Amino acid sequence: MIVCVAVVGHQNNPLYIQSFTEADDDLKLHHIVHCSLDVVDERVNNPKRSGSTLNETFLGLLYPTENYKVYGYLTNTKVKFMLVTTDLDVRDADVRNFFRRFHSAYVDAVSNPFHVPGKKITSRTFAERVSNIVKSFRLNPSG
Amino acid sequence: MIGVGKIKQYTNVLEKPISKGKQEVSLSAFAFLFSELVQYNQTHVDNISELERRLEDAGYAVGARVLELLCHREKGNRRETRLLGILSFVHSTVWKVLFGKVADSLEKGTEHEDEYMISEKELLVNRFISIPKDMGTFNCGAFVAGIVRGVLDGAGFPAVVTAHFVPMEGQQRPRTTILIKFAEEVLQREARLG
Repeated sequence: MIVCVAVVGHQNNPLYIQSFTEADDDLKLHHIVHCSLDVVDERVNNPKRSGSTLNETFLGLLYPTENYKVYGYLTNTKVKFMLVTTDLDVRDADVRNFFRRFHSAYVDAVSNPFHVPGKKITSRTFAERVSNIVKSFRLNPSG
Repeated sequence: MIGVGKIKQYTNVLEKPISKGKQEVSLSAFAFLFSELVQYNQTHVDNISELERRLEDAGYAVGARVLELLCHREKGNRRETRLLGILSFVHSTVWKVLFGKVADSLEKGTEHEDEYMISEKELLVNRFISIPKDMGTFNCGAFVAGIVRGVLDGAGFPAVVTAHFVPMEGQQRPRTTILIKFAEEVLQREARLG
């Protein structure tokens, strides 16, 4: 089950955080997302392997805690997408698919001429699309 | 059946799939809009350099969005980390999507290490514009320079981008050159990456 998605700008400023659980632990989820940012920076700035992996957008599993898993995705403009989920076995392909659709929604939100780059994303359409994507991810249990 | 392509015949015209339509905007519509943009800015500023700066800022916003869109749509989400990579991306992909063709040429500057030039015989945005003599060296290509700056800035290659007219012998209208001067940190990073 996806509990939270987040969009973080290139200066690690939050652009959009949305949690999908009924429980009121937003702060804990923000904290988890914040900690995962360190892992992203580490992956981006210390290329252990050179070559094609330097350019990959999907970063994979970043930060497994006791009941959450965090996946990361980096776009061309250093904007990061984070996905916090409680599923124990999610397929890689599903997460990639999720991020692809999420990226599509993000590009549409940013193309809005009234959106100021660097400020929070306030578009209601974006919020609706994201919750649709999250719902359809939930209905396809993997594994 | 081996190798024979079957063309589906639609007996009823209502059953044909709806075409995606041309992914192009009419040039005259854009020319009107751009001329209105220039005129509006002209009435709000006092001097030429301010006008150029405003056009460039307008282009910057376009460039930032174009980068996001193109990376998602065309490039298959690969991130450019090398100088030549991002330059050839701007020169071919961005130009193709915005103007329908690749830029005429991409050159490296001879005097300075950090200068690159994209030249075009005539910029699309300048097609219906003629600059009056008293405006000196003003070039509406500042809008395109702003777009290039937006793309480079978003991709992590800060640069100063300007548009210039370069007179050529044997041709009536001068060519336009977009001059890109990269910041120091870009060159250092490029040298580090080897």
